[in-house]
Amino acid sequence: MYRSTRVFVGLWAMLAVSACAPESAPPPVSSSSASGAGAVAVAAATETAPSPTRIGSTARNIGALDDIEELSVAIEEGRKRSGYFGYGDPATPEQIAGWDIDVRPDGKGLPPGSGTAEQGEALYEEKCSACHGVFGEGEGRWPKLVGDEPLTGERPEKTVGNYWPYASTLWDYVHRAMPFYEPQSLSDDEVYAIVAYVLYMNELIEYEFVLNQDNLAAIEMPNRDGFFVDPRPDVVNVLCMEECKNPDDIRITWDSTELGVTPVEHFKDDEDDSVSTPAVAAVTLDDGAGQKVYEQACKTCHGPGLAGAPVVGDADAWAARRDQGLEVLVRHAIEGFQGEAGYMPAKGGQMQLGDEEVAAAVSYMLHNSGAAQ
Amino acid sequence: MRDKPGAGRQDLKALLAKEAGKLPQPDRRAFLAKGLTLAGGAMLGSATSAAAAAGSNLPPGVPPWTRSVGRGVVTVPYGMPSRYEQEIVRRTVSWLTASAISSISFTPLHRLKGIITPNGLVFERYHGGVPEIDPAEHRLIVHGLVERPLIFTMDDLMRFPSVSVIRFIECPANGGMEWRGAQMEALQFTHGMLSCCEWTGVPLATLLQEVGVGAEAKWLLAEGADGSAMSRSIPLDKALDDSIVVYAQNGEMLRPEQGYPLRLLNPGWEGNTSVKWLRRLELGDAAWYHREETSKYTDLMADGRARKFSWVQETNSVITFPCPENGLKQTGKYEIEGLAWSGRGRIKRVDVSVDGGVSWRRARVKGLVLPKALTRFGMEWDWDGGPALLQSRAVDETGYVQPTLAQLREARGVESIYHKNAIHTWRVAAGGEVTNVQID
Repeated sequence: MYRSTRVFVGLWAMLAVSACAPESAPPPVSSSSASGAGAVAVAAATETAPSPTRIGSTARNIGALDDIEELSVAIEEGRKRSGYFGYGDPATPEQIAGWDIDVRPDGKGLPPGSGTAEQGEALYEEKCSACHGVFGEGEGRWPKLVGDEPLTGERPEKTVGNYWPYASTLWDYVHRAMPFYEPQSLSDDEVYAIVAYVLYMNELIEYEFVLNQDNLAAIEMPNRDGFFVDPRPDVVNVLCMEECKNPDDIRITWDSTELGVTPVEHFKDDEDDSVSTPAVAAVTLDDGAGQKVYEQACKTCHGPGLAGAPVVGDADAWAARRDQGLEVLVRHAIEGFQGEAGYMPAKGGQMQLGDEEVAAAVSYMLHNSGAAQ
Repeated sequence: MRDKPGAGRQDLKALLAKEAGKLPQPDRRAFLAKGLTLAGGAMLGSATSAAAAAGSNLPPGVPPWTRSVGRGVVTVPYGMPSRYEQEIVRRTVSWLTASAISSISFTPLHRLKGIITPNGLVFERYHGGVPEIDPAEHRLIVHGLVERPLIFTMDDLMRFPSVSVIRFIECPANGGMEWRGAQMEALQFTHGMLSCCEWTGVPLATLLQEVGVGAEAKWLLAEGADGSAMSRSIPLDKALDDSIVVYAQNGEMLRPEQGYPLRLLNPGWEGNTSVKWLRRLELGDAAWYHREETSKYTDLMADGRARKFSWVQETNSVITFPCPENGLKQTGKYEIEGLAWSGRGRIKRVDVSVDGGVSWRRARVKGLVLPKALTRFGMEWDWDGGPALLQSRAVDETGYVQPTLAQLREARGVESIYHKNAIHTWRVAAGGEVTNVQID
């Protein structure tokens, strides 16, 4: 009882400090900046006069206290000791260990293990390259991983090499969320190896470098110092009401309808719907087309049978799928499908493919599995 | 199909073509695009045109629904909108993302009323699809720099004193496709990564007090139970200010799309921080710098440096009528309507211009005006049938005035993707058609 009270007082003291003097890195309250206060003062001078409040303090309190008296109840409860309600069970170290997967830039959270780019290369090609490209160049709209182009150019592509500030982030993310269709399936050593290979492709470590728990945090990423804490509000508009600009100067610089890249058929009756609905009806590709698409887009999984994918040549597996109806099968291939055996990503993740190309590939796979009838 | 003997490869292709080709156009669209029921789209059109053609359902005629009785109770145990509202759905723009599993859909703001977004229309944002979680097997672990790490069941969490608040959630990429120029042809796509619900749950402050926050704790990691195990670092003062661990929206349990059975809500902050399918909160003394706060959700400036921890959704507004989906048909009086919102508090005022920002008139703020919530405004307008450029400009209670796009570009360049809250322009053409444009 005594201890928890003390801790809580300490906590509020700490918060008071952080709100007034956000010099600790990184400051947790971005909006309490000097520019914020200035912005309000300028806006107030231009027209109506909101009393010049400090945005920092306002931002912290608006919404918390004004309209919800319930939250003041919460704060009152906050003055009580921990364990006041007594709900929940103590989380055991074993329970926590099973879910506590996060890794920080200082290396906290990294498990024992190691891997080299040499070991990661084959793993990467098997598990990552279908989406991220054999050279980390990114297939279609899947993320590009490798590149050192400057971030100041026209539409710069952010990669691990030119943008990510910490190697720990890469380890954490690969471990928690990759491969995309089989998250949290990699062993710790596999994660070290794949991370090493991605770093190697970005020319940040050597091919033989043994990446491990102790040296990962020390890797200096090129864009480590490329981030700064949000300074908004960063622009000040004025509340002009009359003659705010010269009507003759107004020029339409962009008209969205000139591009025609968004679906509009739901409100424009006379639009053709080519944007969102290339038709399976247009299956007129020659015999080689299905095979070509298969080789390029489907074989990674449907060759060896990754992620529960039916293997081409497995007549029973394909007949079962064909029997749900060809149109259903094609639709699943185009839109993606979660089955009992595994998961079919939409177009196998190759969103650059047209629907008719996917249909042709399905046709090819059925035919070569003796299930085309 | 399997009954057709001897269908070879060519026949298969022909079959494919035939299957799709025999469908009428709207049905082919449904068949290919979203797997909607094949009958759906056609019914609306045929029913409407039949009624119009016959004319007998209009006065002095008496329509069949007046001369008969309808379905009884619990024919539809969970009620759905009228079949005449089937077009009011979330939509996506397929080329925006590589896969629908990690993608976004948009709320049809152009057809919503008031400030509450119906649960089935709240925009979706997934990084690893929607998990199907059995609430009996869902747990929230709170650990790290705490006195007593605890594991909660849903029953435990719902036993705490609850709060209910109306708050918006907005993806910081809302409008992010238009830093360089206008390219989305509908309000749904320019501003639809935005919804507002009544959320019910337990204040995070209550949970943190229950575990006892350690003196060294400054940050908190929130992590999801989905296939992306989404994780974000949240500073402790936000967590103790107004964050809520939410289990219900608009009076019912969370929809799977919104984090069923448990999500975090950080009011006013970019939606990504309101981690869905919440399974774990860890307290620590430093930020984690995970993928969603480094590689993504950081704002790249023109000089090649990037803003981090850009959490607040600043003051924004948009006109919802008229808009590209809702054009004007006759001259005369209209109420221009729209929505305004601020992640820093209440909307204080909204001004509307019909001449591209040369002159402005103060609009009426209507209905509930709540902090960090959508706020509806309206202004009467007499349309003379001529061209117009409509804009809205919101001011929140901190005094912040919604900026112009030119101002944002000047400060940030055009590569920052996130947090575009600029004054938006609709062009009304002489015929009443409305298009999304950008002006100098």
